[in-house]
Amino acid sequence: MICRPASLNLSVYNANAKNLPAFYGLPSEVKYCKKCVISNQRPNSAVEYQHQKKTQKAVISFDSEGVCDACRFAEKKRFGIDWDYRKAELSDLCDRFRKSDGSYDCLVPGSGGKDSFYASHILKTQFGMHPLTVTWAPHIYTPWGWKNFQAWIHAGHDNYLMTPNGRIHRLLTRLSTEILFHPFQPFIFGQKSLAPKMAIHFNIPLVFYGENEAEYGNPIQDTDKAKRDWSYFSARKDSEIFLGGVSLEELKQAYGVEPVDLQPYLPADPEKIERQGVQVHYLGYYLKWHPQQCYYYSVEHGGFEASPERTPGTYSKYNSIDDRIDDFHYYTTRTKFGIGRATYDAAQEIRSGDITREEGVALVKKFDHEFPERFAEEIFRYLSLPPREFPVASRQFEEPLMDRAYFEKLTDSFRSPHLWRHDGQQWSLRHPL
Amino acid sequence: MVLTASIIESSLAVTRTTRLIARLDIKGPNLIKGVHLEGLRVMGRPEEFCDEYYRGGIDELILMDVVASLYGRNHLAALLETATEKTFVPITVGGGIRSVDDAKNLLRHGADKVAANTAVVARPQLIREIAEQFGSQCMVLSVEAKQQGPSRWEVFTENGREKTGREVREWVEEAVALGAGEILLTSVDREGTRRGMDMDLIRHVSSRIQIPVIVSGGVGSPQDAVEAVTSAGADAVAIADLFHYRRATIAEVRQAMADEGVPVRSFHAA
Repeated sequence: MICRPASLNLSVYNANAKNLPAFYGLPSEVKYCKKCVISNQRPNSAVEYQHQKKTQKAVISFDSEGVCDACRFAEKKRFGIDWDYRKAELSDLCDRFRKSDGSYDCLVPGSGGKDSFYASHILKTQFGMHPLTVTWAPHIYTPWGWKNFQAWIHAGHDNYLMTPNGRIHRLLTRLSTEILFHPFQPFIFGQKSLAPKMAIHFNIPLVFYGENEAEYGNPIQDTDKAKRDWSYFSARKDSEIFLGGVSLEELKQAYGVEPVDLQPYLPADPEKIERQGVQVHYLGYYLKWHPQQCYYYSVEHGGFEASPERTPGTYSKYNSIDDRIDDFHYYTTRTKFGIGRATYDAAQEIRSGDITREEGVALVKKFDHEFPERFAEEIFRYLSLPPREFPVASRQFEEPLMDRAYFEKLTDSFRSPHLWRHDGQQWSLRHPL
Repeated sequence: MVLTASIIESSLAVTRTTRLIARLDIKGPNLIKGVHLEGLRVMGRPEEFCDEYYRGGIDELILMDVVASLYGRNHLAALLETATEKTFVPITVGGGIRSVDDAKNLLRHGADKVAANTAVVARPQLIREIAEQFGSQCMVLSVEAKQQGPSRWEVFTENGREKTGREVREWVEEAVALGAGEILLTSVDREGTRRGMDMDLIRHVSSRIQIPVIVSGGVGSPQDAVEAVTSAGADAVAIADLFHYRRATIAEVRQAMADEGVPVRSFHAA
């Protein structure tokens, strides 16, 4: 049974409170990178299938000069990599896999946003490949996200769109929000697993992802490899898999989920991947990835359009704009780690040389804390599990319906005392940028 | 009838020269350029571009501090001092003008006009205050317009990021009544796209007001600029992308205007 969030003991959030506990295994002392605006609270990408309430995070590392791995990698990208050589490596790779028998020779997963547009289009037009694109649908499309997705296809790509069962997706999203405060997680399952599974299905030996997660702060050693580590996409045993922090067994037993409902979320079978010799590569290893450049490229070659309004919580209009739940994704990272959307956006743009740190700091101060009002009521309805629609699963919740008050209480239960303080009126970060 | 109308139009046009304006959006030390005012790309040092455009025969310059609202102040005073040493055409400065004092400061540093958007949307009386203090000719209303339906455009602020819920023409009419002397009308939908200017938007605004309208956003070729004047009634065209990326020279745009019978200032490079 999932109970309503308990009332908080506000004394640990007092400005003068001592021995503040740090949730999620985060470092108890908050530091900010000297070059960008990211803090040492930023968790590395993790294997979402293993994510449970008790999971402890590994975080971005800072060197002795107080500079984060992502900034160091950005420097390396600028000065330490022979990009011509890397491009030649990509040509070689493509030469080995290119087919001319009418079948697809590579698979490019993506949303039709600027990065996937760039990836598939450049593979097709400059490297002579024959990509199949596959898309795992967002929770709820924004109108501009849908329009850009269509523009991608119409710029010359075949595409399969996989849209998971809306009821199951809502249930998993509610669970991931309730248990992990991670409403974006159900999307990540498909984003990671769809491409390898489709590659197996269509017997396509080569899968291209765009950027390496390491560019944003995973251990820097990860960036030296073109190939992706299978651990992100596959799992050996069902008992190792958790969706929304709940085991597959429990989902079936307690939440009325049928085995077939789980199929879209399950990782690819590693044995099949090995048998067919599917390789997954990062295009960002071979081509110097600059998100702003991808925006320009997709505007020029496909009529990509920035969203008509800035995304709440940040200043940008071109980045992660296709899912209405995205606003809440970053609101939850702000709650858990003190890092909101503007921080992620500004850190990336500082590293890419698009803005200065001074501007980044001002942008974070202005936007990072903002509550994502625009789709809030719709998202609360999405996260609600009325008994009529969810006869079994709703019984597992003390309060199956989500409203603003419930969401706020839930939010507060995920605030780590080492990050947040409450002055009797409102919440603020103890260690703001 | 049609013939008569066009004769009247062209005879009116003779009375007023169409101005070619270079628009420089500036962030910190850099000239920047975006698409839909987004994805701002660093182009270089604004001083150098000002100099080049002056020598190329530009009629006016518009300098916009695009992060002024973010920092709460306009950073262009220093740039203005350098620019006015070498350039002798009218300069309009915009960004972060929130009070009469802000305007005074920029005028004192060499600006000829100030352009305001975010602050005057928040407090329209500021238009009257600036106009009364320095004259309407000094008060340019900057409008960032985004299409929200057939013949409906919404006013945006903060460099095309914030909605206001205000309809463009209603806002422009109110601003004119308050004393705005000129309109700088930017199409957020076309800005940086090189797809041509939003003619419907330009007509929508220019058909209803008497003060000059400078149009901005979408010029992909000299012909696009000409069309904004001949078929939509613009009084001046502000160009950024076409000049910054050196896809056409000022002389080429001027010639294209002249070829279509648009009166332009004659300019011969020294």
